[in-house]
Amino acid sequence: MRATKLTALAAAVAFSISLTACGSDDSTDSGSTAAAPTTTTMAPTMAPSSADSMATFGAGCAAVPTDPSDKGSFQAMAQVPVATAASGNPLLSTLVTAVKQAGLVDSLNSASDITVFAPTNDAFAKIPAADLKKVLADKKTLTSILTYHVVQGKLTPAELAGSHKTLQGGEVTVSGSGEDFKVDGAASVICGNVQTANATVYIIDSVLMPKS
Amino acid sequence: MRGSLAGLVAAGFGVAVAELLAAATRPEASPLVAVGAAVIDATPTPIKEFAVRELGTHDKPVLLASVGLVLILLAAGTGALGRRHRWAVAAGASVLGAAGASAALSRPAAIPFDAVPSLLGATIAGVTLWWLLHRAAPATAAPSTVSADAQSVATPGMGSADVQSAATLGMASADVQSAATPGEVDSDARSGAAAAVSEEARPVGDFDRRRFLQAAALVAGGAVVAEGGAVGIRRIRGGSAARSRADIRLPAAADVGRPVPPGTGPGFVTGNGDFYRVDTALTVPRIDPDSWSLRIHGMVGNEMRLSFEDLLRRPLVERVITLNCVSNEVGGPYIGTAKWLGVPLAPLLAEAGIKAGADQIVARSAEGMTIGTPTATALDGRDTMLVVGMNGEPLPLEHGFPVRMLTPGLYGYAGACKWLTELELTTFAKFDAYWVERGWSAEGPVKTASRIDKPRPFAHPAAGPVTVAGVAWAQRRGIRAVEVSVDGGDWNRAELLPVPSIDTWVQWRYTWKATTGPHSLAVRATDATGTPQTATRATPFPNGATGLHTIAVTVA
Repeated sequence: MRATKLTALAAAVAFSISLTACGSDDSTDSGSTAAAPTTTTMAPTMAPSSADSMATFGAGCAAVPTDPSDKGSFQAMAQVPVATAASGNPLLSTLVTAVKQAGLVDSLNSASDITVFAPTNDAFAKIPAADLKKVLADKKTLTSILTYHVVQGKLTPAELAGSHKTLQGGEVTVSGSGEDFKVDGAASVICGNVQTANATVYIIDSVLMPKS
Repeated sequence: MRGSLAGLVAAGFGVAVAELLAAATRPEASPLVAVGAAVIDATPTPIKEFAVRELGTHDKPVLLASVGLVLILLAAGTGALGRRHRWAVAAGASVLGAAGASAALSRPAAIPFDAVPSLLGATIAGVTLWWLLHRAAPATAAPSTVSADAQSVATPGMGSADVQSAATLGMASADVQSAATPGEVDSDARSGAAAAVSEEARPVGDFDRRRFLQAAALVAGGAVVAEGGAVGIRRIRGGSAARSRADIRLPAAADVGRPVPPGTGPGFVTGNGDFYRVDTALTVPRIDPDSWSLRIHGMVGNEMRLSFEDLLRRPLVERVITLNCVSNEVGGPYIGTAKWLGVPLAPLLAEAGIKAGADQIVARSAEGMTIGTPTATALDGRDTMLVVGMNGEPLPLEHGFPVRMLTPGLYGYAGACKWLTELELTTFAKFDAYWVERGWSAEGPVKTASRIDKPRPFAHPAAGPVTVAGVAWAQRRGIRAVEVSVDGGDWNRAELLPVPSIDTWVQWRYTWKATTGPHSLAVRATDATGTPQTATRATPFPNGATGLHTIAVTVA
């Protein structure tokens, strides 16, 4: 028993030595540590994403691919701008088609700091097929609908509830708190706080319609 | 158990001496760091990504802890086995020494000396273990009785005190791990632990046991002193890296090239703080320029090694050059222009003597990045250089201090290695650089492209004249024309502002008579050879995005 304790103590000594030997790399090492080149995608090293701001929420997040090498995963989405991020995610393919149709890919990608309410394919499927086809063919209406889903500034979950002016011009109203939000009273946030390089995304289960 | 204890203490001492030697001579030769880095290199990418995903920023501490754990198990096993079979001492020490040495030698910038700390540490650990086991030898007759005695003698109160000190020790090491606690506190905690070992030895009353524990405590104390020294030296060296950047006075350029001409708009030169950063370094390497050197080797007649001072003694050039990242989306932000101060690469390569057929220069960074550049792009007259200064100051740490490479006309991944330590002349057939291994194209010439910066996407400008402005680039070719189209209509020539050379972006502006309603604005550039930029959409992978930047605005 006693010998075991001594061994534990000695192990702790050896262990702490082995840790301190490498432990100061973030501030004082002179370039001796080999950084782990873990990425296969070339991404900016900005690291604005602390663990908290990365925390997604909602049951719908389970449908997002978990393999970080998958373009639709949260990790991959965080490294590219929002339209590119959405195009990697199979849940959002109808939205991506609509964004391309409206010619808004570059605008969404090169806008700085926006919030996007992103309707899933199922959300678009709730619209009668004939109506959806008509909307996709009408660039002006389509642009109006899509820009109604975008708010200037990255809204954190804590800032989400309330009224926000959209890029379309109308106000979108979010109610709820915690991990339970409704947008304009009808659309539920099924996966929230998804980070992309230039936007925070809230995935919703219904398409929003501008009031005017 | 005594054998295991002896093994642990001896290994701790050996490792601490090795760390001390490495810290004092070549930090990259540290056995623990080298083994950790070798493990990272040997780990398949999916597992690395799994680790990053599951452990987040803890991946490195967990890795190092795992390396430590394996070391502990091996050391304890060697000690236990060594009590009966002394050959195990030599075998265990050899295995650990060989592991550390081969890991250190496998590092990209390794020199033969890097094996020495590991080998010395392993030798010391082996000899120490031998000595400890010798001290412990008389008790081998009845080890089980001794531990039974020890158990009965130990009072419960003391036992919990031991456990507590062990716990305290663990906390102390955790603090050092986060680099929050000064080294002295850490040393104190460990000396306390060593004292606990020797104090505990006294009441036992077993002479052999006491002799052994005193010896073990002595070795543990030595380990603490050596490790304290290693931590102290690292701290001093790390501080000096940051200090020496501030102290560096770069010589003036012998050839200042063409300055930014009057008439450019604001933002032509990107500030160092605003300059994009795309790399894989988890922590920014901090390199002491006094110990930095550049090795030019491979298919050369005369292998060369240059110190930072050697570089600064050569004639420097200053050039305004635009650098961009291949991963930039159409209209994206990963592009910037700076005034770079550096040493032209061509004369250096001429001195090294490039052998026939060496069509690739592989640049290696301090953190193991490799970037492959066509040898031709260093010799065709363009300003390919080893950069030491950026916008009038020493290269910032995150942009590759003390030296980075820069090749005008190539994306960064193909010509702009940061934290440069090595240039190897080789061939494209023989070696795939880091990004090439991951599917990106072997060569990365910049594609002609343009971007609208004003108005911003989704802006609501007032009807009437609206200035549409932005940048266009085609380094090495230059830009002949930039045109703007509104709502898919005719292409209208934009005004081009002056540039210092074909290696920078050009700023452009166009006055649009905006009418009320939603509009889309698109831009296209034509390079000086008369070739318009590719309008077809392509993703950044594998050799740069193409497509015309098109934004939506609503005129009020």
